[in-house]
Amino acid sequence: MIFFQPYENPFYFFILFIALLPIMISILHGKKIHIYESLISLFFLFLTFGGPSWKQGIALIIYTIYETCLTFGYLYYRKRKNNQLVFYFTIFLTILPLALVKIATAIHNQKLSLIGFLGISYLTFRVVQTVMETRDGVIKQLKLSQFLPFLLFFPTISSGPIDRYRRFIKDYEQVPKQDEYLEMIKKGIHYIFIGFLYKFILAYIFGTLLLPEVQAAALAQRHNFLGLSWSLLGVMYVYSADLFFDFAGYSLFAVGTSYIMGVKTPMNFNRPWQSLNIKDFWNRWHMSLSFWFRDYVYMRLLFMFMKKKTFKSRITAANITYILNMLLMGFWHGLTWYYIVYGLFHGFAIVINDAWLRFKKQHPNKLPHNRATKYLAIFLTAHVVCFSFLIFSGFLDKLWFIPK
Amino acid sequence: MFKKLFKIFGPIIFALLIIFLLLISPFNYGLKKVSNDDQKKAAVSLDHKIIKGKRIKEQALGQNDYVAFFGSSEWSRFDPMHPAVLAEKYNRNYRPFLLGAKGTQSLVHFLNMQTITNNLKNKKAVYSISPQWFVPKGIRKDAFNFYYSPLEATEWLLNESQTPKDQYIAKRFSQLLDPNSDHVLHQTFTRIENGKKPTKFQLLYIKMRHQLLLNEDRLFSSIYISNRNENKIKLCTKQLPPTYDYNKIYDLAGELGKQNTSNNRFGISDKFYRKQIAKKVKRFKGFQAKEKFTKSPEYADFQAVLETFAKNNTDVIFVLPPVNQQWQKYTGLSQQEIQNAVTKIKFQLKSQGFNHIVDLSNDGDIPFFMTDTIHLGWRGWLYFDSAVGPFLENHHRPPHYQLNNHFYDRKWQQATVDQIVNFK
Amino acid sequence: MEKSKIKETVLSVLQDITGTDLSDQMDVNLFDTALMDSMATVEMLLQLQEKLGIDVQISEFERSQWDTPNKIIDRVNGTLQ
Repeated sequence: MIFFQPYENPFYFFILFIALLPIMISILHGKKIHIYESLISLFFLFLTFGGPSWKQGIALIIYTIYETCLTFGYLYYRKRKNNQLVFYFTIFLTILPLALVKIATAIHNQKLSLIGFLGISYLTFRVVQTVMETRDGVIKQLKLSQFLPFLLFFPTISSGPIDRYRRFIKDYEQVPKQDEYLEMIKKGIHYIFIGFLYKFILAYIFGTLLLPEVQAAALAQRHNFLGLSWSLLGVMYVYSADLFFDFAGYSLFAVGTSYIMGVKTPMNFNRPWQSLNIKDFWNRWHMSLSFWFRDYVYMRLLFMFMKKKTFKSRITAANITYILNMLLMGFWHGLTWYYIVYGLFHGFAIVINDAWLRFKKQHPNKLPHNRATKYLAIFLTAHVVCFSFLIFSGFLDKLWFIPK
Repeated sequence: MFKKLFKIFGPIIFALLIIFLLLISPFNYGLKKVSNDDQKKAAVSLDHKIIKGKRIKEQALGQNDYVAFFGSSEWSRFDPMHPAVLAEKYNRNYRPFLLGAKGTQSLVHFLNMQTITNNLKNKKAVYSISPQWFVPKGIRKDAFNFYYSPLEATEWLLNESQTPKDQYIAKRFSQLLDPNSDHVLHQTFTRIENGKKPTKFQLLYIKMRHQLLLNEDRLFSSIYISNRNENKIKLCTKQLPPTYDYNKIYDLAGELGKQNTSNNRFGISDKFYRKQIAKKVKRFKGFQAKEKFTKSPEYADFQAVLETFAKNNTDVIFVLPPVNQQWQKYTGLSQQEIQNAVTKIKFQLKSQGFNHIVDLSNDGDIPFFMTDTIHLGWRGWLYFDSAVGPFLENHHRPPHYQLNNHFYDRKWQQATVDQIVNFK
Repeated sequence: MEKSKIKETVLSVLQDITGTDLSDQMDVNLFDTALMDSMATVEMLLQLQEKLGIDVQISEFERSQWDTPNKIIDRVNGTLQ
């Protein structure tokens, strides 16, 4: 038997293609065979979570049962009552496994503790939003035969993109027309091949070939003030490029595979390096995550703060919410100083960005606005972002704190 | 519908066919021959891609007068007394093919030898072995992963036969190799470690991967070979007297050493001192006081190298370089510890019939012997050459080795010097 | 409530938030043109709640259905009926 990480090598894609063939044929004939799709999903979950990773597989099963009971239990309760505390407690319980994994990782410095498995954070996102929408009364009923395919949809299980329950179910139940589906296959294949370019060529060049070299060069100059060197600048660019191509490549595989399965999973990246400012950047970078945080954390917190008039000025309220939102995202990445600083950095960057946008609005004709300022904005934004990725990479931790 | 489907999938099928023909086929596309110029550049390039590859090494060692020089970072210390310079200048009947760079130790060399076993058969080789490799944890994980070559690993896997050596090697690979680099190979190592044969699927995978890597090596290995070191060597040869004269060269070595070690009291070359040490010299005081070299998995890794030499009847000369003694006193590195390692290494060599040993480990106090902290230079290289050069120029005499598998045991890895007497 | 009154209220809320009179560009995309962002959205929902008494949950707020003045008016009409 052979086991894989998702989208790891050409052989995985070969198996994937064979497995998707019957799905393509059936959709082209105007049918979706959910039982077959579920079997394929299970098979690919087994490829990832079986064999040497069987402990993760057990963790995934227990996690799925636990979260399913919570979600359905809450729906049962919500149909009768709507107590705020019960809702908060349910959310607490849904996040608990993820929080424990993050804490255990921080303490033991291991990749995954006993209850952890690859993709646990992405599954948690899906559960939390389902519970929140249940509480809002937007989700009025759940079916196990829809909830489980949503939760365990194999193309996106390990790292997203994070789909929404109602959106997913609509695609899942609907059979696209032949022409539309052919267009979807075309797109899916296109995405997967761009993914090959990103993940197996560009990310390989940046991550495997270049990154170790610039890192070694930067480490050799660690005795400089703050470890600063031209090589460190190189680490910043190379790491940023690697991070983007690796993750965007993976996301394209996930989206492409979903399309071939007849599900239009949302895109994760939309030319982030052309962002005009940090807010724009977060509308283009890891979009399914940042939109999740926008919709389920930022807007809700801000709504609450503004409604209760917690802060005198609405600008203060917005700023504090931005920082809390990004800080939480930092914590979500992991409990290390550099993820948390990364979160705070982006929180403050957005606050500054917002102040600048207000200033621009108030002085509409005083500031030049032309092609040069546009490119300057793109250049500045990209560098602020790259710098934040240098923090995020954890390389500074190695450079400053870990003895040789 | 079918027309549309063909438009989508046609190009993919076509591309797969081309790739398949290019990589899986055993043809060599007429790319077999590596030019002499490329061989010359590659022999001294010290590039990790050359070390990890096959075609260039194989051809240089097989067709021309190149001799494999296994070692580590010392090879990059080029000066007029460097073995590659002397061999070039005095047109010896051999040229070194330098295999080794910062961080390469016995386990890497074991891998390294897999693609050139035919070229080691009944040939000579040089093996420079530093006592400082023998640290308690052995080779560093990152260094191993950097020099790990799937081509060499699959070549070994195709030849392994569950001997104690193979099981030991599999264990080391499964400990050190990042599983994400190749799950199938990693699982195969774990199987062999536990005394099981690879599964049929694993064997098929290994064969396909090997063929693929082989073709990759054929197609791409000589695309860019740096000539930086070759140029350095050319410049160095100009400083040497026209005919070989040991005394003249010895004096020149002293002179060059003197000229180049003026900014510090350790006899370290100025450039190295300025770049690597000057700013943090205080931090180095006593920093090696606790280093120990007696107990290490490196001894067993070394045994795998010895076994490979023995199996191929290779006549090897081993060189044990010293550490710069003034520097050693400053960092607190114990000469006793180094000598313990030397004693163990020599025992391991001699008891199995490896009798060509050049022990320079006590010469670190000779002025201008070392070019920096731990690397041979000037007079050190000349000492090296005057032992290694004649050995290589003489005719090959078939060696007689008697291997002892107990050198793979933990007992040997962890043996103290006092326990050597009892070791059988 | 009369439809014209609703339209008037929505436009005045939008003008308050975006600082722009939108009555002559009823189909402009508010998010693409950066006239609104998520903070402005929250403000809008709060003000609509205050002035028209409609209760829109954040979950129900789907950007693509609220991205022009016309669409917003439609949504508000729909919720009120």
